[in-house]
Amino acid sequence: MFEFRPIINALLRAKSGAILLLMQIAITTAIVSNAAFIINDRIAYLEQETGLPEQDLFQFNMMIFGKNIDLAKQIEVDESLLRSIPGVIDAVYINAVPLSGGGSGGSYNLLPSNEKSPSINASYFRADSHVLNTLGVELVAGRDLNESDVMVTSDVSELPKVALVTQAMHDEMFPQGSGLGKTIYRRDNAIKIVGIIKLLKGPWLQDERRDRSLIFPQVRPSSFQKFLIRTEPNERAAVMRRIEDVLLAEYPDRVIDVIKGLDQLKAEYVAEDTLMVRMLMVLITVLVLITALGIFGLTLFNINKRLKQIGTRRALGARKSAIIRYFLVENTLICSVGVVLGSAGALWMGAKLMALFSLPSLSVSYVIVTGAFVILMSLFAVIGPAKRAADISPSIATRSI
Amino acid sequence: MLNMNGISKVYQTEMVQTHALRDFDLQVNEGEFIAVTGPSGSGKTTFLNIAGVLEPFTQGQYLLDGVDIGKLNDNQRADIRNQKIGYIFQGFNLIPDLNLYENVEVPLRYRGIKAAERKRRIESSLEQVGLASRAKHLPQQLSGGQQQRVAIARALAGKPRFLLADEPTGNLDSLMARQVMELLEQINRDGATIVMVTHDPELARRAPRNIQVVDGQIADFSLYQGNPAAVVGA
Repeated sequence: MFEFRPIINALLRAKSGAILLLMQIAITTAIVSNAAFIINDRIAYLEQETGLPEQDLFQFNMMIFGKNIDLAKQIEVDESLLRSIPGVIDAVYINAVPLSGGGSGGSYNLLPSNEKSPSINASYFRADSHVLNTLGVELVAGRDLNESDVMVTSDVSELPKVALVTQAMHDEMFPQGSGLGKTIYRRDNAIKIVGIIKLLKGPWLQDERRDRSLIFPQVRPSSFQKFLIRTEPNERAAVMRRIEDVLLAEYPDRVIDVIKGLDQLKAEYVAEDTLMVRMLMVLITVLVLITALGIFGLTLFNINKRLKQIGTRRALGARKSAIIRYFLVENTLICSVGVVLGSAGALWMGAKLMALFSLPSLSVSYVIVTGAFVILMSLFAVIGPAKRAADISPSIATRSI
Repeated sequence: MLNMNGISKVYQTEMVQTHALRDFDLQVNEGEFIAVTGPSGSGKTTFLNIAGVLEPFTQGQYLLDGVDIGKLNDNQRADIRNQKIGYIFQGFNLIPDLNLYENVEVPLRYRGIKAAERKRRIESSLEQVGLASRAKHLPQQLSGGQQQRVAIARALAGKPRFLLADEPTGNLDSLMARQVMELLEQINRDGATIVMVTHDPELARRAPRNIQVVDGQIADFSLYQGNPAAVVGA
């Protein structure tokens, strides 16, 4: 009924057109599988949960001048001023802003540096006891930082005695049980974990440390300053517009810039990935369209080349449905071989991409779904020309063409 | 077997209306061998197409083996072509990508005949035309006469009661033409009804009954020979 054998035999005897189509389908399958996988991986990356109310947070940088200025005191004054602006929930002077692409990191151990123990890399934030409330993240165990924890110092070697850590960092350092109240080490500085944060993405979303962060209750005064502010929902834009006026009125010798929402910082940080996703989507669309057009065109070409043959088949008793079925089966056979070759190519390409660009390994499900999609697309592309072929009159068999 | 009454066929374009057949009447009895002749453009091919259920007619009634062809839908017409009619075309119309076996198999597949029966019939019909040993060859590896014999084998494999031949020797040299004609005569002796369109008067004379088509109508062959003025509407 499906004429598999004669169709296969005919294809084997007239290979060139079939091979061209087969190659196009194989290449499409290989590229689309990998591109779809990369797109999905990037979308998951772009849409990952950060634990932060990104729409309500913003930051600004400030350069403050003045020979006799007491930086620590001025920071306290500025923080109080910022917290008093209507619509502000909380504000902190902070060394780095999550999701921004700029920050600090270090390695932490379970034992002091003279003893061997596994080392965990993590990013860290330094701020006063308002930091957790400003970030708007959730504490799942232990306690928040308090005023008495906060160390104000300009000495870079000094570290506070306590810290908050993220759940991810905690789980890596203490896979067997709770680390709350236990001590970790930064070189020889002992740091006691007093609280565990459910989720807080660090400054680098692409980094392997993105889920591992510490918050130190420490203020290190500097003339180059960074502040993070959380506002009530929908109040952020209004507060951002007031920042310069409020701060310059209090102390004019300073420059304020990079007033940006956290979502904007994140968008800038992931701009390349966003662009890549869009480009890959365009690539996939173009490639699928070209392949569909190729199948459509080749089938039309085959039909025009075989007008007499189709007419003869009709004259010999083929129903219209048999002619349509013939082209669908012929096309499906070519596509299936193309998809099998393309799937092998996709897995090979996935392995190469993994080795060369540290991409995750291609999931077989993407190859299967892409293959099914390509076959389905090819069936849709061929159905129009096949119907046209079925409409060829059997009387063409007796004409000279 | 074949009964055409008042068949007309009009081809209509935007500008021109062409009457290919006019009030065409023909009765062919079971087992007859008829040669259809006539000048180019007389309507022979149109008659053949209608007789072979390859195209519809505009007016009239056509009964083939008692079946009113004008009342059939497209699928039923395809089935009639497949089950009752065998075709032999001037250009052989073999499918170039299929070998001889597969070519003969084409109409049998459309009839849904099982593989073993198909094999038996294909081998038998190729044997009948003397090409059983070349079943795996492609059409282009054969001479014109051999290709026409394959086309005959394809027509025979379906065991049709009605065989239509369109200039079956038109593309062959005289020796090959004689061989093909002898084959058709043998098939007719075996019981098949044959209608053959030909330009060749010598071949036409070998058929027991001749009809001539002129200007879309049948002229009596004997009358035509004796009295050209009585041709049309005879």
